Amino acid sequence: MFKDWHTLLACSVVLLFGFVLFYLGTDGFQAYTAETARVNQLITDQPEFPDVVLEDSNGRSYHVSELQGSYVFITFMYTSCGTVCPILEMNMAQVYRAVPERYIGEEIIFLSISFDPERDDPATLDKYKEHFGADGDTWRMARINNQEELEKLLSTFGVIVIPDDSGNFAHNSAFYFVDPQGMLIDVMDYTDVNNAAERVISTLQKEEGEDR
Amino acid sequence: MNQLIIGALLLLVLALPPVRHLLESIMIVHMHMQMPLLVVAGFLTAKYMQEKLPGFFKKWNRNGLPGILLFVIIMVYWTLPRTMDEALTVPAVEIFKYVSLPFLAGVPLRDSWKKLSVSGKNTVFTGFTMLFFGMGWLYIKSPEQLCNNYLLVEQLTLGWGFVTMAVCMVVYLVYKALVDPSEYE
Repeated sequence: MFKDWHTLLACSVVLLFGFVLFYLGTDGFQAYTAETARVNQLITDQPEFPDVVLEDSNGRSYHVSELQGSYVFITFMYTSCGTVCPILEMNMAQVYRAVPERYIGEEIIFLSISFDPERDDPATLDKYKEHFGADGDTWRMARINNQEELEKLLSTFGVIVIPDDSGNFAHNSAFYFVDPQGMLIDVMDYTDVNNAAERVISTLQKEEGEDR
Repeated sequence: MNQLIIGALLLLVLALPPVRHLLESIMIVHMHMQMPLLVVAGFLTAKYMQEKLPGFFKKWNRNGLPGILLFVIIMVYWTLPRTMDEALTVPAVEIFKYVSLPFLAGVPLRDSWKKLSVSGKNTVFTGFTMLFFGMGWLYIKSPEQLCNNYLLVEQLTLGWGFVTMAVCMVVYLVYKALVDPSEYE
C-alpha cells in the first residue's frame, strides 16, 4: 500500500494533524463534553463570587459578601422544577446532614440560589425549603432580584439556563464550593454525594487544624 | 466552473448569520443538515481545485487513502458533543467548522472516493455505520445532558437521527452485497 513515499508522508501528516486536533479539542483527551471542560476550567480559574444581593426565604436582603468568613456550599435551582432540582436539593440535604454539626452555620453555610426570581419569592422559597429540612439560616434559599447581577453570577460560574416553552428551564447542575475569601474552589458532581461530603468535611477539618 | 459557483454560493448562504442561527437552533439540524451541507459545498468546489492543482492531488492523494483519512478524522471530530457546543459559544471553533467541513472533508472526499477500491469504500461505509450506531446509542442512552446549549429532548432526537441514518446505511450495504446492478441493465 505504501509503495510511494508521498502517500506515506501524506498519511502521516494527516494522522498527526488528527492527533493534534483531538488533543487540543478535548484538552488532552480529558473533556469530551463542554460541561466537563467547563468544570475543569472553573477549578483551574477559581473565579471570585461576584457581589450580588440575595433575598432569602426569611425576606432578608444582603450582599453575598456578608457571608465571607465561612465556606459556602452552593446549588442553583428553581422551585417549579420537577426533574433535576429536587434530586439536586435532596443530595445537597445529604451533604448537609453528613457535615458534623459543630461546623454548620459557623464554618460553612449552605445556600440554594434560585435563577427564577419571578416565581420564587420568599414565601415560595420558605415553603420549598421545608421539603429538604433546610432551616433558612444555616441552609438558606435565596433569589437574586437584580437580573444583571444574576446573569453575571451565572456566567461567572458557568451555569447555563435555557428556558423551554412550558415555563421550565434546562440547566446544568453541580455543587459549588466557595471558600471564606469568596473564591470558588471546587465544582463537584452532584450525583456523587459521598465524594462531595468527604471533600467538604476534609476541607473544614484542615481549616480547623490550621486555626489551632 | 458551474459547480464551483454553486458550492461557493451554498457556503456563502450557510454562513449568513440568520441562516446560521436558524440551522444551529435545532440540534439535529445542526448536525445532520448544516454540517453535511458544508461538506457538500466543499465537495462541489473540489472539481475546480482538482483542475487547478492536478499535480497536488495526484502526488499526495494517489490512492485516496490520505484524503479519506482526513475526511474521517474531520467527520468524527464534529460528532463530539463538545465541538458542537463550542461551535455555538466559541467563535474560533465556529470558523474552524466552516473551513474544515468544506475543505478538509468535502474536498478530500471527492478526490479520494473514486480512487478507493470497492473494499475500501465498503470499509468506510461500515465504519460510519458503526460510528452512527455508537453515537446514536450515546445520545439516546446518556442520562445526562451532553450539550449545554441544547435540551435533553433534542439530544434524544439527534440520537434517533443517528440510528435512522445508520439503519439506512445498513440497507445500502445489504443492497450492495446482494444486488448486482449489471443484471438489470
